Amino acid sequence: MSSSTFNLPLGPVHVALEEPVYFQLEVQGETIRNVSLTSGHVHRGMEAMAAKRNLVKNTTLTERVCSLCSNSHSFTYCMAVENALGITVPMRARYLRVLAEEIKRIASHMFNTAIQAHIIGFKSLFMHVMEVREIVQDIKETVYGNRMNLAANCIGGVKYNIDQELIDYMLRALEKFEPQVAEIRDLYLNNHNVVTRTKGIGLLPHEDAISLGVVGPVARASGISDDVRRDSPYSAYPELDFKVIVKNECDIHARTQVRLDEIFESINIIRQCCAKMPEGAHCAPMNPIPVTEACARSEAPRGEVFYFIRTNGTDIPDRLKWRVPSYMNWEALGVMMRNCEVADVALITNSIDPCVSCTER
Amino acid sequence: MPDIIKGDAGVMDALAALCTQPNAIRHTEDSFGNGFHWYTLDRADEITGAAKILKDAGARLAIIAAYNRQGDANGLMHSACYEFVLKGVVYGVTVNMDAEHPSVPSITTIFANADWHEREMMELYGVNVTSHPNPRRLFLDEELDKGLLGDIVPLSIMMNGSTSNDLWERILSDRGGQS
Repeated sequence: MSSSTFNLPLGPVHVALEEPVYFQLEVQGETIRNVSLTSGHVHRGMEAMAAKRNLVKNTTLTERVCSLCSNSHSFTYCMAVENALGITVPMRARYLRVLAEEIKRIASHMFNTAIQAHIIGFKSLFMHVMEVREIVQDIKETVYGNRMNLAANCIGGVKYNIDQELIDYMLRALEKFEPQVAEIRDLYLNNHNVVTRTKGIGLLPHEDAISLGVVGPVARASGISDDVRRDSPYSAYPELDFKVIVKNECDIHARTQVRLDEIFESINIIRQCCAKMPEGAHCAPMNPIPVTEACARSEAPRGEVFYFIRTNGTDIPDRLKWRVPSYMNWEALGVMMRNCEVADVALITNSIDPCVSCTER
Repeated sequence: MPDIIKGDAGVMDALAALCTQPNAIRHTEDSFGNGFHWYTLDRADEITGAAKILKDAGARLAIIAAYNRQGDANGLMHSACYEFVLKGVVYGVTVNMDAEHPSVPSITTIFANADWHEREMMELYGVNVTSHPNPRRLFLDEELDKGLLGDIVPLSIMMNGSTSNDLWERILSDRGGQS
């Protein structure tokens, strides 16, 4: 630290931070020169807990890693177990899994977008986005009985089924939802108040994004065309058409644009699922548990989720380890915040859609 | 098997050259045709060589999963599985640590995003990672002991003390087997 700079602590509890993180900002006047980050305030030791529970109970545990991407955790965990046990999931269950995943992705992206308006101080926009998001929350509550943890996945498939009445309800809700999100997208991309706070701010150049191994919308807004759904297709994704949204502007605005555009891709995927979903079983039986190692990946709303499992022939795993997208994206904040204004710290942090409960498990 | 499971032949050959022990190489695929290639290195210090092979090929480090091997018949202390992704294919590289080779070198200078993974396995599993550029704790306060999570006794075990031996075996084990 030079004589012209000083340290500014931010957090762990701060009005603009949803979850506890402690930033040590080295600032020169109002300009940030360096950032260091300390986490661990809500570490729960969930991986140690997973090695004390059986494979079935861990489906419930992993769904509680995080609320916004809860479905991605149980989904990817189940795929890791299925890879270890050699279970092939029935086709209808694959579609039902994708359906739950894309509904959650829409709700997650809407939430992050709303929080951005909240941080900017654009309260009416914040309230409006949260209100429109309620349509998706209603879908979750109607189809799954819950607004956050859907409890949709189980080893071998899914625990729920839908009939034509629910499909028709979902499609009607999306008809109502889509034009409202189009208006919201227009506001975020063109409104002066939003654009001046997001364009050219929080830059993560393409080379830094590659070097740091960032994932999800953060990577795709820095020109990296990575999406597990397309690159290592799983579940019903090989049967579905969708675009991977990539932007090259590398700033907060580009990350928002990626998320908003992805909402429309998710709507498109849900409609395809409703049209193409075959009849049939929605779960396969368990197989004997071998001594082996396996892993699985999926594209959660925030990016790639990776599960590694090591089984020992019993129903209690030797090791269950998962790596969440936020874990890869936190260190990018050091690059994004350098030479930015202190006033932009909360906005830049929100632009990686950070999840502390995911990171600290 | 490798010729029918997706993967980069050059990378697979180069990694295979570092794994000469029996059953050190395994190739699998999931029910969607995605390839997974698993390698167990002869020595833990060869992880830097394996990492360079994957870095040069354009791979991304996705996760490092460390786990305890105490009680292993071969005298292993820890293992760590490094998973890399290259063109949608996963390459898992496992290193074993024993009394003869108790540590593993850092690969943070090769893959910048190994930083957190390595700090976490040092902190939570007590794995000795050498030459790490920033070896401070990631999550827990510096004053807490290493390997702390190994001391967890789940509430369910505590509550079921009268109907299972789990709690008492744990206490005996901590007392060195004395009754």
